[in-house]
Amino acid sequence: MITIKDYVEGLFKDIPESKEKESVKTEIILNLEEKVQDLMDSGKSEEDAINKSIVEFGDVSEIKRELQGSASPAPKKNEKKINYKNNLWFSIWGSALIIGFLFFINYTTSWGHPWFVYPTFAVLWWPLAMVFAWLNHRKN
Amino acid sequence: MISSDVIRGHLDAIILKLIIEKDRYGYEISKEISDRTSNAFEIKEATLYAVFQRLEKKLYIVSYSGEITHGRTRKYYKATAAGQSYFEEKLTEWQMIKNIIDTLLEEKK
Repeated sequence: MITIKDYVEGLFKDIPESKEKESVKTEIILNLEEKVQDLMDSGKSEEDAINKSIVEFGDVSEIKRELQGSASPAPKKNEKKINYKNNLWFSIWGSALIIGFLFFINYTTSWGHPWFVYPTFAVLWWPLAMVFAWLNHRKN
Repeated sequence: MISSDVIRGHLDAIILKLIIEKDRYGYEISKEISDRTSNAFEIKEATLYAVFQRLEKKLYIVSYSGEITHGRTRKYYKATAAGQSYFEEKLTEWQMIKNIIDTLLEEKK
């Protein structure tokens, strides 16, 4: 047979620990036990009395709402903030350096054939992607 | 058992009134409500303790531990001055609402 204490402990299981919670829990257990005693005095068996008290208890989420309104602070935002603008500048400087280096090699070794254009197109995807990431972020 | 929104909207005031009459503890209040309404309205414990939390947070009531039963202390509630004036405000409001609904639902055709 389930006891009032077990039942109430179960109800409050997933509410974060706090002084208020303990105090409300003790209060409810004590008052419910008194109700059970009253019901038994009026002729009910202990099991019936406990079951009736449990059925009549109602929806614990009401208490939860009140407890959480005061005790626990708003859930912390753990997500790291991304600095889109910095990422964009880094990609521009980075790709400019790579293109500049390739151009320099191309210029000094084989100027007749401007092959540096091909890797340049590939490298330009980087700042392009960053520009759109930044634009998307701004829109939101 | 009735469980209407009208009652729910005035539970804070109902419980506050019982505490203003005299200092009371949880089970006493739920018993009192059932007795006075001849069991037409019974308050759920979950609702009752949520109301206590709310009233305490707004400083309309304060709790203290009194009378010991089965070796444990009972938590009593006591109304504050703020609670008293909040109750009077709600009472006036209720009397107005009652008049309005009476007028609209029951009088004339």
